[in-house]
Amino acid sequence: MRPGYDLIREQLFIRKELKERVLWLVKIRWCVAAIPFIAMVALPPLHFDVARAPLFLLGMSVLVYNGSFLGVARWLEHRRAHAVTPFLVLTHAQIMVDLATLFVVITLTGGASSPLLPLVICHIVLAGILLAPMATFLYAGITVAVMGILALLPRFSNWRIGSKAWQSLLLPSGWQGSEAMPHTIAFGAAVLFSAFLISAVRGGLQKKGRQLLAISRELEIANKKLLALYEMVKDIGRHTNLQELLDSATRQAASLMGVKACAIKLLDEEKKSLRFAATYGLSGDYVSRGKLELAKVPIHREVIEGNPYVVDVIDEKDHCRYPEDIARERIASMLCLPLRGNNSVQGMFCIYGEKNYGFKAEDVDFFTLMTDLTGIAVERVKWDLTKSWFMAKVTHNLRSPLGAILSMLKLVRNGYLGALNEKQRSTLVRCERRAENLVELINDLLIIGKERTELGITKLSAVSPQKVLKAILPLFTDQAIRKEITLSSVIAPLVPPVLASDSLIEDLFSNLISNAIKYTPNGGRVHVTLNTENGDAVRFEVEDTGIGMSEADIACLFTQFFRAENAKKLVTEGTGLGLVIVKEILERLGGTIHVSSKMGEGSRFVCRFPGFVQAEGKGPP
Amino acid sequence: MDTKADILIIEDDKDLVDSMKVIFESKNFTVRAAYNGKEGFAAIQAQKPDLIILDVMMSTPTEGIDLAQRLKTRPEYRQIPIVMVTGFPQQMAELGPDRFVNALREDWPAAKFMEKPVDLEKLAETLETILSESPMEA
Repeated sequence: MRPGYDLIREQLFIRKELKERVLWLVKIRWCVAAIPFIAMVALPPLHFDVARAPLFLLGMSVLVYNGSFLGVARWLEHRRAHAVTPFLVLTHAQIMVDLATLFVVITLTGGASSPLLPLVICHIVLAGILLAPMATFLYAGITVAVMGILALLPRFSNWRIGSKAWQSLLLPSGWQGSEAMPHTIAFGAAVLFSAFLISAVRGGLQKKGRQLLAISRELEIANKKLLALYEMVKDIGRHTNLQELLDSATRQAASLMGVKACAIKLLDEEKKSLRFAATYGLSGDYVSRGKLELAKVPIHREVIEGNPYVVDVIDEKDHCRYPEDIARERIASMLCLPLRGNNSVQGMFCIYGEKNYGFKAEDVDFFTLMTDLTGIAVERVKWDLTKSWFMAKVTHNLRSPLGAILSMLKLVRNGYLGALNEKQRSTLVRCERRAENLVELINDLLIIGKERTELGITKLSAVSPQKVLKAILPLFTDQAIRKEITLSSVIAPLVPPVLASDSLIEDLFSNLISNAIKYTPNGGRVHVTLNTENGDAVRFEVEDTGIGMSEADIACLFTQFFRAENAKKLVTEGTGLGLVIVKEILERLGGTIHVSSKMGEGSRFVCRFPGFVQAEGKGPP
Repeated sequence: MDTKADILIIEDDKDLVDSMKVIFESKNFTVRAAYNGKEGFAAIQAQKPDLIILDVMMSTPTEGIDLAQRLKTRPEYRQIPIVMVTGFPQQMAELGPDRFVNALREDWPAAKFMEKPVDLEKLAETLETILSESPMEA
């Protein structure tokens, strides 16, 4: 089974060619059919006696079968337009009938010595043009065989074919008995006809060649444009910063469209006005107008409603709100399209030409594609930013009052507002601890929310795990000292960098170290190790002599808000989200975590994640 | 008794302001308060403080940032150290909606940036450190 695309392409091409060939052959045959009739009319005035009846019979035969072929061709066009084989069969039928007719006439006019013999060559040339090589050789073979039979037949038979008596029926009396003239004329006709056929074919081929060249050129241009568009989309798709995305889009659009300038105007939240969000090739004065109210500029309103605005020649004052700005920027043509996301129109994307650009339909189509893809990217970034902004506002609105509560509690506890008795102080300490726990919970929720809205992968770069660990270890010193825990660490000198952000690695390390200290009773030990595995992966281990956990608890360890019972007894406060954060970070890094623990003896957490190999094999910044 | 320095707190959370006042006054600072950017600027114009504690988000999400940058453009106020406090972490500020994308720039005007909840005693120590490093104008 041939690939569908190739089959379709070939079928379309062959069918079109075949239909044209069938009809072309019929047209030529009308001319050939006219020759006997012309001879009947033209030769007698030139004192040639012609046998009218045979010529008329010959002419009519050709007319009749040519008419039949035409009828069949039209019927096939009408009823079997999508088929290829019927047209092929019709072409073969025409060649065969023509050859058969010619053989009959040759036989009747002298067989192997007939003057009409050279005309056979025209048909073989015709078969070569219209049919496959195998078919051409087949017809050539048949022709040679028939002519051979005609040449040999007189030796083995008494039947006199092509007697001079028949010649008298078909050839003018002035030519009978003279061999040279009819042969010369027939030969000449064959040569001229062959030249005509070959020239016609050559002309057709040249025309097709030029068409193919033009198509090929257009395809090349279209391909280049699509590649450029792909690169543009890839570039703007990786931006998480809206301004960078817009700047990149305008710069690349101006380059791809080959125009002087480009601008993106975004709708405000009320959807009542536009503002210049990014421009390329426009002066500061042009964009300094600030807000552009939709109510005051009908063109803008139309575009926002989804209608493209194309002006090849800007010469009417009412096209633009500020025509003097247009003139100063030397803008002569303009194309504006709505910047559409999946859900709504974000604004407008405009390109400006310095000369009368003459925007064609394909330019508008291409720019529409570019604009739609940019609109989707803008919508995505804005949505991500909205989600992150919401998270930030929520955490701010939760943190601020908690911060105030903690401050006031500490104020009272530390005696700034007067002395306290022990019961009052211990109650305040408990209040502080609960408030701190709430802050911790909010922080953990923010981290998880940040990871899940993909903020964790913004601004990824090669991060040095050693650098991060060395920076955060001192932060746990106080906590360890308070519990008389020995906090030790071994950090290998060469650890591969990791493609991440500082905060991701900080959160990963901090949660594990903090947990280890929290769940190790006073006087215990926490040991942190950072080294490399196989030269290209990072291994981070935290081992403690803490309370440990059961196998059943290990199975639930990475469940949200899970806290083992023995953990709750040792430390009443805890969010149950720390290890969830660790797990999500490791998933993001493509890493794994292994936990081993024994109740009452301690735990070991081992994290492994791949290092980042930079293109030139350089180390972390 | 001479006070160490004049501290202006610009923060919309009155409870937090009162807590700060108690601690800073116990450390011998003179403390004034303003509860939004406009009041804060007026207080600065009335009497130039030695240090400003400035909240980022007040009546608008970047009111504190806007005020800090406004002060930095005025030669007479440019040298006043500013401690920014916020419950809105720096990373989130950088990734905020388009109008806040460039909220934090390289010429960040704050001497110190602290995330809420702030340990007020540590904040007091920070003030002393900053003031001891900055030139005090006569």
